[in-house]
Amino acid sequence: MEVIRNFPDSELVANLRGRQRMDETIRAIYRSHFDSLSWYVMNNSGSRQDAEDVFQEMLVNFIDLVQKDKFRGESTVKTFLFSLNRHIWLNELKRRGRALAREEKFQKGQERVEADTGHMIADRESRQQVIKLVEELGDTCKKILLLFYYDNLSMREILETLHYENEQVVRNKKYKCLKQLEQMLDEKPHLKQTLKNLLNG
Amino acid sequence: MDNSTNNMSEKLVQYLDGELTGAERENFEKLLATDDGLQNELQSLKETREAVMQFGLQQQVAGIHTEMMQEMQPPVRKINSSRKIFRYSMAVAASLLLIIGGYFALNFYSLSSNKVFASNYHSYELSTMRDDDTVQISSIEKAYREKNYKEVIVLSEQQSTVSVKETFLTAMSYVEQGNNIKAIEQFKKVITANNASGAAIMNDEAEYYLALTYIRNKDFDFALELLRTIKDNPDHIYHGKITAKLIRQVKMLKWR
Repeated sequence: MEVIRNFPDSELVANLRGRQRMDETIRAIYRSHFDSLSWYVMNNSGSRQDAEDVFQEMLVNFIDLVQKDKFRGESTVKTFLFSLNRHIWLNELKRRGRALAREEKFQKGQERVEADTGHMIADRESRQQVIKLVEELGDTCKKILLLFYYDNLSMREILETLHYENEQVVRNKKYKCLKQLEQMLDEKPHLKQTLKNLLNG
Repeated sequence: MDNSTNNMSEKLVQYLDGELTGAERENFEKLLATDDGLQNELQSLKETREAVMQFGLQQQVAGIHTEMMQEMQPPVRKINSSRKIFRYSMAVAASLLLIIGGYFALNFYSLSSNKVFASNYHSYELSTMRDDDTVQISSIEKAYREKNYKEVIVLSEQQSTVSVKETFLTAMSYVEQGNNIKAIEQFKKVITANNASGAAIMNDEAEYYLALTYIRNKDFDFALELLRTIKDNPDHIYHGKITAKLIRQVKMLKWR
């Protein structure tokens, strides 16, 4: 069993950026920050389920930003996470068309240290649509593309994992899968725009 | 797609994946710098790769999320002793309320018109008169004293004239026989006859037993009206019999 410990901000960010010990680092973020951030949502007209969903969404955004080098440590991780969490929840409330009666309660104290993260958050809906589109790929394609791009495995390692005849077969398969996904995306220009924004920030 | 573009496309992917090195890479970058179409294609591939990255990240976080949410169930709050006492008192109060409520509910639901009738009804008995020997007792009265209610009814139907008292006894016999409709009819005859003559032969008795018969027959409105009349009249023989409880019970029966 892994040792449960808190990471200093620098180590936490370095791990995420370098894609090292990701699972362990993500778990540490849950342990250090979930309670206070979920408390915020639940105290501002949200349910426990809302708090969980917002936190998960926030974390995806955070890791993505760190990996794209957009978190530069101007504020602490805690402050940054709080700000992301808050923005996502406010957007969600706006979407639901509800007034946030007690929001102001926090605003004053936070303004001073708050990082301005509003513009950094990817549109939730579009991001979900991208995920859904990739989901539509065949299982083998998803696996190969994830292993190669997300997990950064070499062709040889993928060959060993998926038991193909030789590297060239895997290479061809991966090429076809990537092209297939590209074609699917070509049919949805607004999703390409979302991805472009995610890339360029 | 012809062969050359296909090759170029594969090369572009290789470039994207960082698999071109050295001179091959330099040459390709030179070509890329001058070819807008190629640049667009590269951009499109980067976006596609980004979709995979987003999917991967989402999957990874979602997996850990599920695991962590199980680990981090909402905490069961410990409560201090004063709150404990408060909670226990509330629990006791709630239980008492439930018991009391249950008692009333039980009363309410177990209440029936027959029960109310039975708990208030006593067979009417004719007083034994001192001058039994001298006064002629009618056959109806005789049958009634012998509790031969069938006979009372038969005799009453056969006789051409029936006295008010005999009518009352006939009504009581119908009550004893469980025939509400006939009993009500006979009681009403008694009351009407008394009203007509200005006498009050067995009138209070007729009113009281009529009220009870109404209850058994589920004519609660009629029953209530009569019961109230009797209760409001201190001189009525049955004035003391009409309790608030009886009226309340009849009202409850009416609500059901």
